[in-house]
Amino acid sequence: MALLELHDVCKVYSEEGRSITVLDRVSFDVETERFVCLVGPSGCGKSTLLRMIAGLDQPTSGQILYDGRPVVGVNPHIAVVFQSFALFPWLTVSQNVELGLESRGVDPKTRKGLADKYIDQVGLDGFEEAYPRELSGGMKQRVGIARALAVEPRLLCMDEPFSALDALTAQNLREEVLSLWEDQNLKVSSIVMVTHGIEEAVFMADRIVAFSARPGRVISIVPVDLPRPRNRKDEAFLRLTDQVYSLIV
Amino acid sequence: MRVVWFLLLAGALYLIYRRPPAIFHGGPPSLLVDARAIPYYASLSLARMAAAYVLALVFSIAYGYVAWANPLARRFLLPLLDVLQSVPVLGFFPAAVFFFVGLFHGGRLGLELAAVFLIFTSQAWNITFGVYESLTTIPRDLEEAAMAFSLGPGLRFSRLLLPAMVPKLVYNSMLSWAGGWYFLIACEIIALGPVNFTLPGLGSYLINTAQDGRLDLTMLGLGALVLLIIALDLLLWRPLGVWANRFKYELTAGGPAPTSRLLTMWRKWPVARWTTLAGVAVWSAGRRVARAALGPPRRGLGAARAVIDRRWPGLPGRLGSAATRIVGWLIVAGLGYLVVRSVIALGELLLRPWPIEARAIPAGLGASFLRLALAYLISLAWTVPVAYLIATNERAYQVAMPVFEVLASVPATALFPVIVFIIAGRSGGMNVAAVLLALTGMQWYLLFNLVAVAQSLPADLKEAAAAYGVKGRLYMFRVVLPALFPSLVTGSITAWGGGWNALIIAEYVVYKGHTFTAFGIGSLLDRATYSSGNLQMIWLSLISMVLVIVTLNRVFWRPLYDLAAKRFKIEY
Repeated sequence: MALLELHDVCKVYSEEGRSITVLDRVSFDVETERFVCLVGPSGCGKSTLLRMIAGLDQPTSGQILYDGRPVVGVNPHIAVVFQSFALFPWLTVSQNVELGLESRGVDPKTRKGLADKYIDQVGLDGFEEAYPRELSGGMKQRVGIARALAVEPRLLCMDEPFSALDALTAQNLREEVLSLWEDQNLKVSSIVMVTHGIEEAVFMADRIVAFSARPGRVISIVPVDLPRPRNRKDEAFLRLTDQVYSLIV
Repeated sequence: MRVVWFLLLAGALYLIYRRPPAIFHGGPPSLLVDARAIPYYASLSLARMAAAYVLALVFSIAYGYVAWANPLARRFLLPLLDVLQSVPVLGFFPAAVFFFVGLFHGGRLGLELAAVFLIFTSQAWNITFGVYESLTTIPRDLEEAAMAFSLGPGLRFSRLLLPAMVPKLVYNSMLSWAGGWYFLIACEIIALGPVNFTLPGLGSYLINTAQDGRLDLTMLGLGALVLLIIALDLLLWRPLGVWANRFKYELTAGGPAPTSRLLTMWRKWPVARWTTLAGVAVWSAGRRVARAALGPPRRGLGAARAVIDRRWPGLPGRLGSAATRIVGWLIVAGLGYLVVRSVIALGELLLRPWPIEARAIPAGLGASFLRLALAYLISLAWTVPVAYLIATNERAYQVAMPVFEVLASVPATALFPVIVFIIAGRSGGMNVAAVLLALTGMQWYLLFNLVAVAQSLPADLKEAAAAYGVKGRLYMFRVVLPALFPSLVTGSITAWGGGWNALIIAEYVVYKGHTFTAFGIGSLLDRATYSSGNLQMIWLSLISMVLVIVTLNRVFWRPLYDLAAKRFKIEY
């Protein structure tokens, strides 16, 4: 059984009497131990889809199943990393990371231990007591990632996590996220990531779900079987990138 | 909606107000006229302010939260707030005194509550708007992050909603606190004068010493008041303002973050650290005890909830929303009933033949308007050039601003006894006094609004003007004035609001047993309230005054405001 199944998911917004279809009968599966990227032109509803998977929004029709059961509301096994980091500016790094645990009633000592562990893992050791505004963009997103990992989710949802960062920082963080994910100690089984960077998708994903422009439909699901670590200059890499480009544009 | 609220409010106040003013015998004012009494009076005034402020804070957070969280409630609460804000608060002080003094059978407590209530009304609306605005501008991502980590209601409030309110809460509290002084002093003066009660405090001390002809003591009291206000600003509000910056989403680019030496000192001061540590210890111990005590019942509830969720998924939510809807409609029905009742009561009152004095109302409004217009023109005449000067000269800014800040910190009403002392009894004196008082109530709003913008005129605009040789008059008319226009409009709206309030105590003065008046809507209202007790006149004056204020806002200021927002806003 797949970890996540989407069956004919539609999303329709009504605005001033008109209804706008954002997503149209979207179906695909996310198996365990998979890295799936959703790519498509902006406005195709991929971020909306991610929010529905995370339980932050509901589909107008169709079904989203996690572990065979319909997603109703926020699921404790799913964590989200936001494009704009969404850190609470008035909480320190460790308070931000501990927040999800606090809401589950985890006792302070365990909380602290978990937070320290994941802050270490994302390479922010020593910044526990810093406030978000004292950090660079890349460090902020590391906090966002640590915060998501700290609740030890099985599915990690990432909404364009690198698009607010400069190119160099983004590439470093991509590689680190991959090595964290490949690390067997991590509880995360699968990752669903939204991006508009096709190269980024080919670099990171096992499966690429390509969307059409609004209303978003699944055009094609492209398996990426390139060996890791991947080389962007590699001919197979370039060929695959071109292939996905031609699907979308 | 606003009309409905206004009628409801007026009706409700009328129902309260209908009691005959038989309770108006508080005994002769017994106040010390002695410099040594100043600290005592200052502490009484401060206590009133603090009580009103705490009330306003609690009210604002609750009201703002409900208006934000509940769309049904929002449709009623926001227009109500709008109406409350445009009402000249001082006009309702007598009503409040009637109500509270009646409630406590003429006791001192009733009078104190009336004063606290009035100060509360001068502080609360502004903070409430701030709370509502902060809640509506929480970035969507943060809200979703809170949702994604399924924060419970308590954690959501303490980690997301409350911190998000802090910057506005602190900033608007500073404004409200300054406004509160104005009304506090006014209350104490009105209570001692026309209402003939004793509300011992700095305000009553000022008017009392002036009446005794001891202007030296009046000045001393005034000095004490200014000192108190400045001390509070330095010791409390500035450090709080710096601390509040931590709760902003991002510091605005450019310019160093504001600092407060006192905040740093406070943090380093050992006693402060110990008290903080002790406070934290007590708090966490208390929490642990509470958690231990509440643990079993809470776990039981949780288990019950889990069972319900499993058996009937979604049921609690549906039941909850149904209950909310029923309660909502009950409230709507209740309010509707009250609207009808109050409209009928008010209609009955106003349909009776009007007293002959009512004919004076239009002329009174006209006279008051002219006074305000004159005060406004005087304010404009000096604040615009000063703002211009400050915009072009850094040194002028450095020198002049602290002086203006101290001058503006004096609540205009506190100058009142001095002004009255100087001109009472002279022919036309009351007219001058009224204009002067209105002026002190208006000019600072204009000046500070203008200076804030003049100071932050974008450097590239200045450079562009310099590069093309735009100087002198052309610079004034093409660069400075258009840039100042939006803040001129907002400053003017606030200034006029302050002016109308000032007139209510400026046009009718009881001084050494004599009543001095300057003909206007304020004196008509005051005479009806304090001497003739004519309910029809009270209501006709109040209603016509509010109508004029609202109409002026609608047909004059609103279009100007829209124009300013459209044409003259500098967007970056």
